[in-house]
Amino acid sequence: MRTLVFIPAWNEEASVSSVIADVRAHIPGADVLVVDDGSTDGTAATARASGVLVASLPFNQGLGAALQTGYLYALREGYDFCAHLDADGQHPAAEVARLLAEVEADRADLVIGSRYRDPDAAAQSDDYKPTFSRRIGIGVFRFFLTLATRQRFTDTTSGMRAANRRVMSLFSAHYSPDFAEIESLQLAVRQGLRVEEVSVRMLERTGGSSFLTPLRSAFFIFKGLVVLLVGQFRPRRAEAEQ
Amino acid sequence: MSFLPFAAAADTVRLTSQTRILAAILAIAFMLLILELIRRDRLQERYSVIWFVAGLGMLAGAAFPGLLQVVADAMGVRDTNVALFSIVLFFLLGLALNFSVIMSRQAAQITRLAQERALEKARQQSDEDRNGNGASAREGERQSS
Repeated sequence: MRTLVFIPAWNEEASVSSVIADVRAHIPGADVLVVDDGSTDGTAATARASGVLVASLPFNQGLGAALQTGYLYALREGYDFCAHLDADGQHPAAEVARLLAEVEADRADLVIGSRYRDPDAAAQSDDYKPTFSRRIGIGVFRFFLTLATRQRFTDTTSGMRAANRRVMSLFSAHYSPDFAEIESLQLAVRQGLRVEEVSVRMLERTGGSSFLTPLRSAFFIFKGLVVLLVGQFRPRRAEAEQ
Repeated sequence: MSFLPFAAAADTVRLTSQTRILAAILAIAFMLLILELIRRDRLQERYSVIWFVAGLGMLAGAAFPGLLQVVADAMGVRDTNVALFSIVLFFLLGLALNFSVIMSRQAAQITRLAQERALEKARQQSDEDRNGNGASAREGERQSS
């Protein structure tokens, strides 16, 4: 069984090497691929110096395209399972290993690490606190994605996931470049894949800042709703190649 | 097909011959511009067809102003100006949408191209690592936790 852990990174020079070290420590058997999304800093060089594979996109393409690159690599190189986590240090690799265990045990095709699955734990933990505008966005997407898929999702924008080959082949063919996280969940459920959430803890980001201002949040939410609505009209199970 | 009825109706659309000549010249100049752009490889033929159609439409409107009256009547619009502007507006709207479609397709193609290149490089690197240090880049089976 071969496993690929890929890390989409855009100008994450400061944190990428510690994330790689974390992955190596907690998921020792996996190959690591850093998808450098057109970084202008030393992200690619730092990652290469850590001895992992680096796929450098020639220019910034957005998170969706970077993630798809990882899925494409995993599919083509014949990995049985893959997982991805953010490069900013929010996602502990130990939690990613738990997600991988779920797909390896074949309990699901796609597993999402959720910060909010377990409300008690989230309330107690002081690891991760969303801002107000973020909380609104989370609530709206949670509601509409649950409505659209008839399956309960708590953390729709989580970038910590594990997947098997069915998901790889779906996502390497279809992955929205703009609205990667939400639309991909909707797509996977509509294609009849087993999508499961696992409660995980996440940390405050070590570097960088959130890109969300209130106006951007509003636009983000609006765009997300349009994407979800359009997604409801996509054909079901059309292209879930095995 | 005879254009005579349209010509006869010309006086209902009040265009002076001066305006008509000016419109015809503009239409011809427009089509010449399109030709020139194609000739200089600034415009691909497949995207030029629609512009030629637009140029011919302009020329037809200049030559036979009665056409516009016929179209306006068919649309149930009393004012030919309104008919003209709505037709042009919808034409441009359709064209803009067409460009968005083309742009989306090309954006997807560019993304895939960038991904293929990135993967190719990663694969090369992976081969070099494997051959270079002799150490296997692939570990054995991972114990599930």
